[in-house]
Amino acid sequence: MNSRALTYVLAAAALLGLTALAFAVGRYPVSLGEIVSLLAAKLTGSTHTLPANVETVVMQVRGPRVLAALVVGAALAAAGTAYQGMFRNPLVSPDILGVSTGAALGAVLGIFLSLNVLMIQLLAFAGGLAAVGLVYWIGSRLRGHDPLLALVLTGVVIGTLLGSVIALLKYLADPYNQLPAITYWLLGSLASISPRDLSVAAPLALLGLAPMLLLRWRMNLLALPDDEARALGVDTRKLRLVVIAAATLMTAAAVAVSGVIGWIGLLVPHAARMLVGPDFGRLLPLAMLLGAAFLLAVDTLCRTIATIEVPPGVLTALIGTPFFLWLFALSRRSW
Amino acid sequence: MRLWVVIASLFTEVSSAQAPAVDTSGREIRPPAKVERVYAAGPPASVLVFAIAPDKLTGWTRAMRPNEAQFFAERYAQLPELGRLTGRGNTANVEVVLKAKTDLIVDVGSTGGTLASLASQVQEQTKIPYALFDGRIEATPAALRSLGRLMGNEAEAEKLAVWYENELRDIKQRVARVSSHPLVYYGRGTSGLQTGGKGSINIEVLEILGARNAAAEARAGLVTVSFEQVILWDPEVILTTDPNYWASVWSDQRWRSVKAVAAKRVYLSPHLPFGWFDFPPGANRLLGVWWAGKLLYPQAFDVDLRAKVAEFHRLFYHREPSAAQLDAMLGEPGVLPK
Amino acid sequence: MLKVESLAFGFPGRTIGRDVSFSLGDGEVMCVLGPNGGGKTTLFRTVLGLLAKHSGSIALEGQSIETLSRSEIAKLIGYVPQGHSGYFAYTVRDFVLMGRTAHLGIFSSPSKKDFDVADRALASLGMAQLAERPITEVSGGERQLALVARALAQEPRLLVLDEPTASLDFGNQVRVLERIAALARTGISILFSSHDPDHAFLCAQRALLLAEGRALEIGAPREVIRADTLQRLYGVSVQVLPLAGGGHTCLPAIGH
Repeated sequence: MNSRALTYVLAAAALLGLTALAFAVGRYPVSLGEIVSLLAAKLTGSTHTLPANVETVVMQVRGPRVLAALVVGAALAAAGTAYQGMFRNPLVSPDILGVSTGAALGAVLGIFLSLNVLMIQLLAFAGGLAAVGLVYWIGSRLRGHDPLLALVLTGVVIGTLLGSVIALLKYLADPYNQLPAITYWLLGSLASISPRDLSVAAPLALLGLAPMLLLRWRMNLLALPDDEARALGVDTRKLRLVVIAAATLMTAAAVAVSGVIGWIGLLVPHAARMLVGPDFGRLLPLAMLLGAAFLLAVDTLCRTIATIEVPPGVLTALIGTPFFLWLFALSRRSW
Repeated sequence: MRLWVVIASLFTEVSSAQAPAVDTSGREIRPPAKVERVYAAGPPASVLVFAIAPDKLTGWTRAMRPNEAQFFAERYAQLPELGRLTGRGNTANVEVVLKAKTDLIVDVGSTGGTLASLASQVQEQTKIPYALFDGRIEATPAALRSLGRLMGNEAEAEKLAVWYENELRDIKQRVARVSSHPLVYYGRGTSGLQTGGKGSINIEVLEILGARNAAAEARAGLVTVSFEQVILWDPEVILTTDPNYWASVWSDQRWRSVKAVAAKRVYLSPHLPFGWFDFPPGANRLLGVWWAGKLLYPQAFDVDLRAKVAEFHRLFYHREPSAAQLDAMLGEPGVLPK
Repeated sequence: MLKVESLAFGFPGRTIGRDVSFSLGDGEVMCVLGPNGGGKTTLFRTVLGLLAKHSGSIALEGQSIETLSRSEIAKLIGYVPQGHSGYFAYTVRDFVLMGRTAHLGIFSSPSKKDFDVADRALASLGMAQLAERPITEVSGGERQLALVARALAQEPRLLVLDEPTASLDFGNQVRVLERIAALARTGISILFSSHDPDHAFLCAQRALLLAEGRALEIGAPREVIRADTLQRLYGVSVQVLPLAGGGHTCLPAIGH
């Protein structure tokens, strides 16, 4: 038990350190002292003597971006963890029921129609929810099949269908203007996170996280065959519905503001499981910590290593996969 | 000089089959003796072909919307939609191109490796000569002349080429007189965080004007940058092609601290019927050079923009824009300083 | 404790069994015998409320099963299914703890009391030393016993075990049967199925012979398990031999 508590403490400390570091670095030079005095002034309500640009960078640009990285990373990791347990499959990502593809379709449609940022985000959010709603509705109507299998297959089918609509829109889009915008959105990025984005996405993500955290012990029973879980007293259908709704809400909110950032929902749950085992009570909080830290680290790199922005999805794959293989080689237990 | 060109063109028309010409990609093109129907494979090509001989254009790559069609004579605005046949994603059906009894396929843009080989492939496939021309602004006069020769419209092409060269010369002279170069940032996309690095075709207009591109240190091509980077560069002028971004920049806290926004020097490029600034990347961008020049160097570029626009439309779109149309174009919010 | 009357059971649209009636008192052990595909598992799943019954009634402690919620049923019946392909490496203790779910609030995690119950269940089966091992790393027999421990953690009044000795070696089979007998002595009713009629003789007070969904006979093992009923049930020739000391055993008549 002690080594587990130590793992949490280390993870939380690493996260705090990483957050402080993320605040301190960036293309625009701001010293740690300036940040501290700015935050102190904000907290106490007093005035400060720092130039306006510094305040803009810290409060409007970097601050929201760092916090958004934490929220999105935690949300994607939590959703991935929940789904991997629920579907009893370590290869599952948060997008298995189509939330990212649905959100992507919404956003691509918005770009295709030359709408403004807010509308594009709204369409993305709505698209994600609608896609999963459709998958769940169809999947639960398929009687006579294992409910999980029905969901997964429906998710794959609908995801492919939505993906082909996205492909069609990309094809019809103006190649000089809309197509690059679509490509960049699909690559995912936290570059244009605004305080407003954060103030909407964070509460939504928390709204999804709350039921999951509250039910985290009970979610362990979804790892058992349906009959067994029901015999132990769990209404599996209702529990699955809550988990899917919570995971979808979190992921749709995250994808709406950050685009599609892959690998976090797939890799981080594994890493966390290798450290503390499959019990959700311990797994979920750690996965959130690790997810937040991972995306923050990646995003900080993305915005500092070059003049131009590197898409985070590229870095999560480049960094995540070898690290994960190394972790896998070290561990001796099964999932 | 002009006399010789005219005589030379008489001679070439007399010959029964055209001598092979070489397009900007270096490939040999053998057009038929009489070229009556020309398929323009992309919007920059449409501009050139239409300018030289509007009656020979078989169609547009995309059907004209009403706000674009208003600048053309009706019979031209109603030409059929044939789709694109360029390297950037084809929507054209090759059979349709064949069915339209095309004598010559023309494309304007990049002339490098892949696109040249794609052009050769289509040429092999359809047996229709496929000519590829350089789309850079400064290469336009040469492209006009070569295309004119291929189409059998040397005279018209020469007229346009000479006019274009004069314009470019005038621009160069004015640029030489400029003493102070403000730092310019080109913000693309709804967030304004995409921009063109040094040498990128997207900011060719700025490079002709010798403007200081804020994003010059970024690699060539379209790139995404972060807010912090833009705030660090602190451009004095921002040019954009996205109306959503232009509208949002005034109320967005994060852009407030940038010099250009504080000084209200954020401008939106007109886009009808063909964009002035970035896309389509063709001869149409000459207007963008005048427009941006006037915004960046008002003293050196003390020109009558209205007159320039009217003249360009007359020559390239074969229709003089009405006063109301000019008012609408130049009066749109963000196009000119208040 | 359990009263089943004229039960018809099966899958949606397909009735597998009919007219099954029996009752089970406190501390009674009943063994269900029958060939593969005869409906044993389906009967059990129906009794547990995992499958909707087609007609008839099932009453637990006098209450009709339709009026009980899943967690109320879970507090009364513990289910030990056949085999378990564990995928995630929960420790044996965490695995057994899952049995406490019915006693926990929806948002609760197990408390010390729950840990104690789980540990006691493990200890009563001689598995205390395996508590920290991942369930994926224990032997088949140990896993089966872990399933029993989990069911015991529910603190049920009735245990339903579906072929608990299938795929166990002889020694483990004997151990499981011993536990069943011991549990019955503590007052828990036991309903279990087996592929071996001897098991009924060894630890059951009553036997139910189930063939093609119908109860051939119900009664004390020595009365209902006879050569003719076994012939009807399995289609093979079996002798039922009395043993010195009072028991019986089955001996298949394999020709030499």
